[in-house]
Amino acid sequence: MTVRSLLGLAALNLFALAVGAGLLWGLRGWRSWWELARLAGLAYMLGIAGLGVALTLVLVAGIPFSLATILLTGMALAGAGAAVAHRLGRPRPVLGTGPRRVGLAGAALAVLVVVYLEALFRAARLSGLYAFDAWSFWVPKAKAIYFFGGLDEQFFSELPNATYPPLVPTLEASAFHFMGSPDVVTLHVQFWFFLAGFVAAVAGLLATRVPPVLLWTFALLALVSPRVVGRTLEPQADFTLDYLFALAALLVVLWLLERRPWQLAGATLFLGAVMLTKREGQLLAACVVAAALVASWRDWRTAWPRLGLASACALALALPWRAWYVSHDLTGEFPSSGGTGLLENLDRAWPSFQSVLTSAFSTDLWTVVLPLVIVAVVLAFIGGARVLPVYAMLVYAFALAGFTWGIWSFVELEVPIERDEAINPVVRLSASLIVLSAALVPLLLDAAWRGADPPRRPEAG
Amino acid sequence: MHGDFSSFLEWPHGIARLGVVLCTTLALGIGLVYFVKAMDRLGDTARTNAAQNYDDREFAGGNAVVVANRPLYEARALIPEDETYRVIAGPGVDGATELTAPFIDHYARYFLMPRRPSPDARWVICYGCDQSELGDGFEVFLEDEAGIFVGRLAG
Repeated sequence: MTVRSLLGLAALNLFALAVGAGLLWGLRGWRSWWELARLAGLAYMLGIAGLGVALTLVLVAGIPFSLATILLTGMALAGAGAAVAHRLGRPRPVLGTGPRRVGLAGAALAVLVVVYLEALFRAARLSGLYAFDAWSFWVPKAKAIYFFGGLDEQFFSELPNATYPPLVPTLEASAFHFMGSPDVVTLHVQFWFFLAGFVAAVAGLLATRVPPVLLWTFALLALVSPRVVGRTLEPQADFTLDYLFALAALLVVLWLLERRPWQLAGATLFLGAVMLTKREGQLLAACVVAAALVASWRDWRTAWPRLGLASACALALALPWRAWYVSHDLTGEFPSSGGTGLLENLDRAWPSFQSVLTSAFSTDLWTVVLPLVIVAVVLAFIGGARVLPVYAMLVYAFALAGFTWGIWSFVELEVPIERDEAINPVVRLSASLIVLSAALVPLLLDAAWRGADPPRRPEAG
Repeated sequence: MHGDFSSFLEWPHGIARLGVVLCTTLALGIGLVYFVKAMDRLGDTARTNAAQNYDDREFAGGNAVVVANRPLYEARALIPEDETYRVIAGPGVDGATELTAPFIDHYARYFLMPRRPSPDARWVICYGCDQSELGDGFEVFLEDEAGIFVGRLAG
């Protein structure tokens, strides 16, 4: 709750930005410093994903976790990015021309988003730790990493949901190290940084591709959804997963449209991070890859091997954690109904689907975001686009089907689920689709307007 | 102008563009309404958080579990960081909520880290438990009026 904690968090997030800038330079490069400024949000989120994945691997390898470990790991990542950039002969950036003009309406909407973020920061600044799951196991796992310098066997086996991946506790433990204490109040501000970084990343990626009015209107609509307002700062993995998933899905669709290798490479890192954030991350990653495979069926000879390689790399990043918990006899990752349990519980199928739809389309939680996604997909089809709406439609459809499967197969959940939204697992799942909408709907509507798939000003490099 | 508007009714591109305009307008209208609501809500949250004292902010969700703050504060002060403790919950806590007995050990684990819970620990946090079951060697360091004890077993 101190200024020192706030300064520590600022230092951690500047460090993540520097790490991500190194990674982005290696993956993509940038021609001017203005371009880097535009992509700073993406660089930051790459840094968060890279640090989260690498530090998780460090923990699984049994390397003591300390401030020095965090700094060295980050420097190694940034150094690797710089080495790749040097190897690929990336040109030195120049100052370049300033950003293109943003119209009055777009600028006004962007200001509203900034005002919203400022209000969210004030709410985060002195927030107590109220979320049950946060104090029950997410933050205790982070404290265990902070106090004992690793995946402490006692706490990681006794705490609830022992098999949940440790990326978020690892980042929280990093925050404790930078703050100098396990300050669970100021920790909420770290989750504000995640949200702000996500918004900046989407804005940076879409700024040259869609009109500002489309970009900021749908960013604002997703951000002011009551559930996002109420829960996005909780120090647990739900919304962090959603940001990483949305960025992975956005980069994959940009790759489908523009075929820049860095887009798929960046998506690979985000997909790996998604699978290390929550167990449903595996499901969401599978939805993105499956949708991309179908959407690229016309040129499967070139697209599918690359998607396969990206999926394999992402899976490789997530496997060591699975090996760790299996070697420690921890269970609970997979549905209790087992492989054939779905057929024995056919009566759960429809109520599970109902629960998913009720939650995903709840106007009390998400206003009208998902209905507008459906409209945007239809309009993109009518306008003449194909790859983009097919991909978007399938990501959402696969995800809804996957959520239904999840509820159906975890037979300990009573269906239909009518619990309060605070403890309703389907509501948490639905959030991923709402967050994704902030990234995909502007692209869909822009494609509908122009009557074509590729964005108006595809990315160079 | 007439030509511009009528182009919005041409199939398929005009209709698609009309749809984009309507969809964006609807999203903008709803977004602005909910923006105002969000600002109100976040302002209230910030004011409530700022008005809390240090204890309330630190216990936060635990306030619905712990009944009183002092026993856990005392436990944190009394139990060395490298020692173990156990929580024994019983029915005899005045003011207990429905969350107290099932979750007090969870909350204590979160609050008292890096102290480790252990079933045979000498340090005991007794939440309405039957003290007689702990034997004569139980030295009480804190006795709370709600029926919560913090103490240590001899030897």
